[in-house]
Amino acid sequence: MSSPLGASGPILEARGLVKSYDEGRVEALRGVDLKIDAGEYVAISGPSGSGKSTLLHLLGGLDTATQGQVLFNGSELGKAVDLDTYRSHQVGFVFQAFYLLPTLRAAENVQVAMLALHEKANHRAERAAALLEEMGLGARMNHFPNQLSAGERQRVAIARALANDPTLLLADEPTGNLDSVNSAHIMDILRGIREQRGMTMIVVTHENDIADAAPRHIRIRDGRIES
Amino acid sequence: MASQLSFTGFAWKNLWRRRLRTLLTLVGITMGIGAFVALVGFSRAFEHEWMRMYTSSGIDIAVVQSNLLSSSIDESLATKIGAVPDVAQVAPMIFNLMDLTPEVNALVYGWRANSYELDSLTLLSGHRFHDGTPEILLGDLLASNLGKKAGDMLSIQGTNFTVAGIFHGGSALEAGSVIMPLDQMQIVAGMEGKVTAFHVKLRPAPAGESYDGYVKRASATIEAALPGTRAFPAAERANNNQIVVLAHSVAWGTSAIALLIGILGIANTMAMSVFERTREIGILRALGWKGRHVILLILAEATALGFAGGLLGIGVGWGALRLLSTLPQTASVVSASVSPLYLLESLLLAIAAGLLAGAYPAWRGARLSPMEALRYE
Repeated sequence: MSSPLGASGPILEARGLVKSYDEGRVEALRGVDLKIDAGEYVAISGPSGSGKSTLLHLLGGLDTATQGQVLFNGSELGKAVDLDTYRSHQVGFVFQAFYLLPTLRAAENVQVAMLALHEKANHRAERAAALLEEMGLGARMNHFPNQLSAGERQRVAIARALANDPTLLLADEPTGNLDSVNSAHIMDILRGIREQRGMTMIVVTHENDIADAAPRHIRIRDGRIES
Repeated sequence: MASQLSFTGFAWKNLWRRRLRTLLTLVGITMGIGAFVALVGFSRAFEHEWMRMYTSSGIDIAVVQSNLLSSSIDESLATKIGAVPDVAQVAPMIFNLMDLTPEVNALVYGWRANSYELDSLTLLSGHRFHDGTPEILLGDLLASNLGKKAGDMLSIQGTNFTVAGIFHGGSALEAGSVIMPLDQMQIVAGMEGKVTAFHVKLRPAPAGESYDGYVKRASATIEAALPGTRAFPAAERANNNQIVVLAHSVAWGTSAIALLIGILGIANTMAMSVFERTREIGILRALGWKGRHVILLILAEATALGFAGGLLGIGVGWGALRLLSTLPQTASVVSASVSPLYLLESLLLAIAAGLLAGAYPAWRGARLSPMEALRYE
């Protein structure tokens, strides 16, 4: 796995990103330019429909732009860098809806991210257990998602995002389904992970206090960066 | 300790989450493979028994009319065949499948009393029949099913026959058959002066000539001497006589339909599964799973269905064969002996059916873009 630390230039760069839907009738992004350095913690905020989640999905290789480029360490996603490989090796996603698989236990949900990397089964299980311990879920690792609280599910999702030791941690409204106590806990965990591991973290949020707490805060409106 | 998750374990969990649907799909493929094992197994065993009968009787060549499915040849041609230099003996014969009672049917042969084919049978009781008399020999299995012994009477197609003797033959077909004088069979079958085939025994092969080459050469000589006939080496005749051909056709046709239904069942299950799991596939893609990993997962599930259905189907098919081989109505023509190679073939067919059925759903699942799948409601 390549490390972004020590690389010259931004770890992520968006150049003229345009994303449109319905044959161009809806424009979610209207020309976004952005540079993010390795190890940065960036919050992206904006009203509903502003394009903040779309931008995160393009930066994370979940979707492709209608126009423009996303570069990871100077290499263009989808051309020089295979999107599947990029997502599996470099990116850890945390979603608002957790997106855990209901038939798998917590530890299995973490391991499923590692299945595509062909690690040995015992290594996968050991790593999943260590990550869940780190999330304070040591006693809950064999529970199914429906046996966990919302905060616990999001912690499982964070453990899953870290399973392949990514360089980028991308969180899309990670506290959107949580109460204030759990929201604060989850944000503490995310910030702690970034500091301990030196990861680059981008958090999309509509909550101003979360956005303002980030060292860098990007505001987006109508598909364009305001500040 | 955290439970371990393997790729196959993940596939199994996906199948197990919809237990009823998985079980119903298994029933479908089990029936398909069961039908294949039972029907095709039956027709192959039937052919095998036919071959054993030829071998034990010492038949080298069968001469039939060119039109195979309704062979009817003048009995008088026996003389011309006998005149071919390589021919040692000629046995004109008729065979047919007949109802003996409403519950029991059997292969009925018409042979001359002096046919060399009778020499291969072991007479267990009674005596051989005589030409021109309404006498029959019963295979031991058939006699047991009918509860007949030497000296009893049996009505066949409205004619009363005396059971002259009970015999044991070299094949299951003979054990469940009736043999009567050729002239009597010609009356019963309405084939006066006609026969179904001539079973030819050749003289020993000349030194330096292989048996197969010798039989082929002799067959060609007989065909040349009797225009309008076909002379088959016994091994070929075992798989192209009208009853075996019919059995093969019915078996393959019926099991192909049953298999198709089983394959459609798996395809439907997998397509439904992919449809229901669209968002989950999106999650896997978001986690970095490549399209080929999704294909592998879905094919693994479909193959597991095929494999499990294959194993169950083999059990069901084999059980059906064993049952049929004991019923009086079918015991004379059904053998429960199935080769391990054939069972392996059936299992491979079931796995192939699973792969075939899973191919389209797998392709469809792999084509889903992560975002489209995640947005799916």
